[in-house]
Amino acid sequence: MKIKAICKIDSNEIIVNEQVVYYNNSSSTDWKKIAYQQLNFDYPKFHKMDNLSKLAVLGVKYIEQAVDFSSFKDDEINMIFANKNSSYCSDIKHYTNYTKNNLVSPADFVYTLPNILIGEIAIMQKWYGENNFFIHDNFDMNFFLNQINLYFCENSKYCIFGWIESNEEEEKAIILFLEQDNKSNFDFNRLNNYL
Amino acid sequence: MSELKEQLKAQIIEQLNLEDINITDIADDDALFGEKFGLDSIDALEFIVLLEQNYGLKISDPSEGKDIFYSVNSLADFIEKNKN
Repeated sequence: MKIKAICKIDSNEIIVNEQVVYYNNSSSTDWKKIAYQQLNFDYPKFHKMDNLSKLAVLGVKYIEQAVDFSSFKDDEINMIFANKNSSYCSDIKHYTNYTKNNLVSPADFVYTLPNILIGEIAIMQKWYGENNFFIHDNFDMNFFLNQINLYFCENSKYCIFGWIESNEEEEKAIILFLEQDNKSNFDFNRLNNYL
Repeated sequence: MSELKEQLKAQIIEQLNLEDINITDIADDDALFGEKFGLDSIDALEFIVLLEQNYGLKISDPSEGKDIFYSVNSLADFIEKNKN
């Protein structure tokens, strides 16, 4: 299995393939919006997404600057995403809305499932491959490699894997674009440089 | 009525998170669910919430929603006819 691209996102910077592609040098707390604007990618839906989806979209679009996705068929790219805290921030927002403010927002409610971020990417990129979202106690790459290999055993060629976390303490994402390659072992050293 | 329409435009922008869209970008007769604003089915639900939260109005017949939410004009007409 080969890492064709790797992206790390946090509130300070976005790194793709060992290069800083976005650096947060503003005092704005809306750094994801600024990172999106830098992409020169017109997708108004971005502003309606929850934080998990925004992080995932930014990761995929910044990786796209390093990998030509247009050369792949629409069902060739599978997706596996995971985190520990599920859709915690959206859950709290929805809960607060209806318990304290007596308000219900369908646009908030729809994000009270973490796998919705996969749907957002699939719609945006028009990808129709297999996908899955795992809730896991920790970033256990061996576990996720087993899941990715299950897809590769079914003759799929590519997989995007992402660990996306958004909670009160931090926002971060690690996203990999992986290619099936029986001659290469997964490069843990390269991944560890991002952890 | 024009004041209500301006108010509606501001509420639509806020409720639907329409970034980079100003009140002046929404014409009274613009098709809200046309290509201009990129609204989807979730936004349609937000309109129902907007009517209930801001004007205390509910749509009794869901099939009427398409006509009511067609434009700012049709929304304002509905509000004017049904407000207490």
